[in-house]
Amino acid sequence: MLFQWALRKKHRQKPEKRETVVPGRDQSGKAQDISQEPLHPQLEANIDMIRRTTGNSTDIVIRRVMVGQEGQHRAAVIFVDGLVDEMHVSRFLLEPLLEASFPPSFSAKETFFYIEKNLAAVGSMKQVSQWFEIFLELMSGSTIILLEDVPLALSASTKGGDYRSVEEPQSQLAIRGPRDGFTESLRTNTALIRRRIKNPNLWLETMRIGEVTQTDVAIMYIKGIVNDKIVKEVKTRLGRIKIDSVLESGYVEQLIEDQTFTTFPTIYHTERPDIVAANLLEGRVAIFIEGTPFVLVAPALFIQFFQAVEDYYARFDIATALRFLRVLVFFISLVAPAIYIAGTTFHQEMIPTLLVISIAAQREAVPFPAFVEALVMEVTFEILREAGVRLPRPIGQAVSIVGALVIGQAAVEAGFVSSAMVIVVSITAIASFATPSFAIAISARLIRFALMFLAAMFGFYGIIMGILAMAIHLCSLRTFGVPYMSPLAPFIPSNIGDTLFRVPTWAFKERPRLINQKNISRQGENLRPQPPDPARQDEGDPS
Amino acid sequence: MEPYKLDQRQLFVLIFLFELGSAIVIPLGVGAKQDVWLAILLSLMLGILLSLVYLRLYGYYPDKPLTAYAQDIAGPWIGKMVAILYISYFLYIASRVLRDFGELLLTFAYPETPLFILNAIMILTVMYGVNKGIEVLARTGELFISLLYFVMLLGFVLLIGSGLVDFRQLQPILEDGWKRVVKVVLTETLYIPFGEMIVFTMLFPYMNNPAKVKRVVISGMVFSGLNLAITMTLNFAVLGADAVARSSFPLLDTIRRIQIAHFLERLDVLFMIALIIGGFFKVSVFFYASVVGTAQLFSVERHQRLIYPLGLIVLILSIAIASSYPEHIAEGTKIVPLYMHIPLQIIVPLCLLLICEIRHRYVNHQLGR
Repeated sequence: MLFQWALRKKHRQKPEKRETVVPGRDQSGKAQDISQEPLHPQLEANIDMIRRTTGNSTDIVIRRVMVGQEGQHRAAVIFVDGLVDEMHVSRFLLEPLLEASFPPSFSAKETFFYIEKNLAAVGSMKQVSQWFEIFLELMSGSTIILLEDVPLALSASTKGGDYRSVEEPQSQLAIRGPRDGFTESLRTNTALIRRRIKNPNLWLETMRIGEVTQTDVAIMYIKGIVNDKIVKEVKTRLGRIKIDSVLESGYVEQLIEDQTFTTFPTIYHTERPDIVAANLLEGRVAIFIEGTPFVLVAPALFIQFFQAVEDYYARFDIATALRFLRVLVFFISLVAPAIYIAGTTFHQEMIPTLLVISIAAQREAVPFPAFVEALVMEVTFEILREAGVRLPRPIGQAVSIVGALVIGQAAVEAGFVSSAMVIVVSITAIASFATPSFAIAISARLIRFALMFLAAMFGFYGIIMGILAMAIHLCSLRTFGVPYMSPLAPFIPSNIGDTLFRVPTWAFKERPRLINQKNISRQGENLRPQPPDPARQDEGDPS
Repeated sequence: MEPYKLDQRQLFVLIFLFELGSAIVIPLGVGAKQDVWLAILLSLMLGILLSLVYLRLYGYYPDKPLTAYAQDIAGPWIGKMVAILYISYFLYIASRVLRDFGELLLTFAYPETPLFILNAIMILTVMYGVNKGIEVLARTGELFISLLYFVMLLGFVLLIGSGLVDFRQLQPILEDGWKRVVKVVLTETLYIPFGEMIVFTMLFPYMNNPAKVKRVVISGMVFSGLNLAITMTLNFAVLGADAVARSSFPLLDTIRRIQIAHFLERLDVLFMIALIIGGFFKVSVFFYASVVGTAQLFSVERHQRLIYPLGLIVLILSIAIASSYPEHIAEGTKIVPLYMHIPLQIIVPLCLLLICEIRHRYVNHQLGR
């Protein structure tokens, strides 16, 4: 039914789609032109059609067979090499087809239905009659069976082929917590969630996005917990997408987010199934995209980017301390160079006397104003980081050695920068690495430069005005209708337990209120662990 | 009008930030010397009475701002005049507060930066905030209020901790009797900040729960009044009456005295930065009121369009209103209360209420017949 929905969507979009066909994209244009046509009764004509449309691509395997009692019906089994599980195809489709004994009187059509009902030993089997459906199935790894004199095709689900197996996620590592991570296969990813939430209310809807790539996109949510308005909004926004390709969840993210002109992410993405499960249980919607291990979670609140997965696995006092640390770290990565600039340029009186003397002595040899010094160092660091990320690992190490030596040692000795500046830049860098979400760390990186500029011109006043403007901007953001800064602003007392600090697990009574408005109760009353009853203790006490 | 809605907590936050905004930095009520806390508490009580007048008007017109119901009450011509008066008043006070903070920055940290630039940065931020709407401003207030209050408490603890507070400086109470206190109340502290609550008549229509407005307003005023009284008293307890009288920004001079372990010193710049946030909200509320008031008066559909022209007016006004800081303060203490605060905070609202009451009585009477 879900698939039909997706197909219906396709139908509905058809007329508009034609208009969006760009000249020079002939192949997709051609594929769409034939898409409305039904199958030809002649087998050879159909095979020819497939050959022509796919341009005789060599990975399309067309296996002609004779079926029926005396082999009187010609048939073809067609699949894409590499997308299907070949063992599966030969054992459960070809073998039964070739070896089955059909009643002799069967016409082509009867044979066709007999194959569908009695022979094919695969999980899912369906009839398709239109070309675009056939190609869709074929390209998604199904095996198509065509029969002479029957203008219908059978599509057997034989998806397979090589995928990366479930491994530990590369981003968002955790010391304590499950080790499995999402893979590039959508089915594996949804299964990882199903395994965690064994509940029929975990609903999954699929659609295809990308006119050329026809990428599978799945929405997952827990019916009864999720806010239906948000699901509807997500679906509308996904349905609006008309794009040629979706190669990563970033494509979808940028097309459905609330505001483009912001450095802050309003949709969360993660490689960890436990994070997605936790978010589904809070009433959010997960969007899986075929071909990427990064699953989107919407709506994402600002504070969510400071919540590491281990916060919920560690005890609450530790988690609270770490949460504070992370918010602090975010601010350090945001303002540390700006404060250095403001302090040395405008507010020397605020720095303790001994320190200011030592900084001044260091800066004596430096030919640049503090702002230029900081800017040069920050940019150098960003270059180093960028080089380190893209390079192959062995060379990456060389880069870091060169960077550490040149920047840490030589630049200071040559009198390019002061050593205090090096300390500030390193602290900033480490702080920005310590921010748990890369998405928010990178936005801090951008804003840092703006704040440095303001600090160079107006000192602390510039910094505070910049931060104020940033706060106004943050408060004005919404993500799928939910204020981005909630539950801090608007302040929601019952949800504040999972923001700057994390209350003990037994006190997690409510789900986020603005996200799911109806089913907010999360756990029973009186879950707080108690010392054993004195009465029972007496019984059990051996003395 | 924007479809935004404020809840009670947000209104409370706005009132608190607004009331403390500039009042906490400027030399407020220093004429009353060590009895400043009495003056503030007395003005708080009178101020609450005043705000009851505003609330009563709001009760008659729960979905209209002051500039709109002035026209309903006093007729279109006089009403429009009154509305224009109020809009100019809000613009003027916005630029006064802007000037206060510009001067503060100039005095304490940026002696060589032009006042115009300092004010421009602030008004640009205000314009950005007002452009985003009152709801966003209120939420930003919610974010910052805990930070501000934390800074205030920290300052309090540090002052006590460094042993600077000398309560003997607060004696004798009522040295010259009530006269001096009452004079300060009637010339200064009643109007700034309590009478300035008149600007909230422009925001009340955005409330999502009109029934609770009265409680929020009064509790907000009491809470901020108490904080203000404590802070001002602390200034006297630390600096003594003479030093406070000579100071342009007593609170910051007080903070400057803090010196702990030869490490925590010269904290005034940090506190100044924190206080600027309060000033930001005060300017924003006044500016927002004048923007929506103008939009309402001249039937401008998108009030955001008025932000740039009006913002420019506030910026230029903030430079042009006085040629020096002493002149600015002298205007603020001698001329503004007499010609602006008293008529616009007390007389006009009272007249409006009177007309309104009479009309309602009369109409009810007629209906009764």
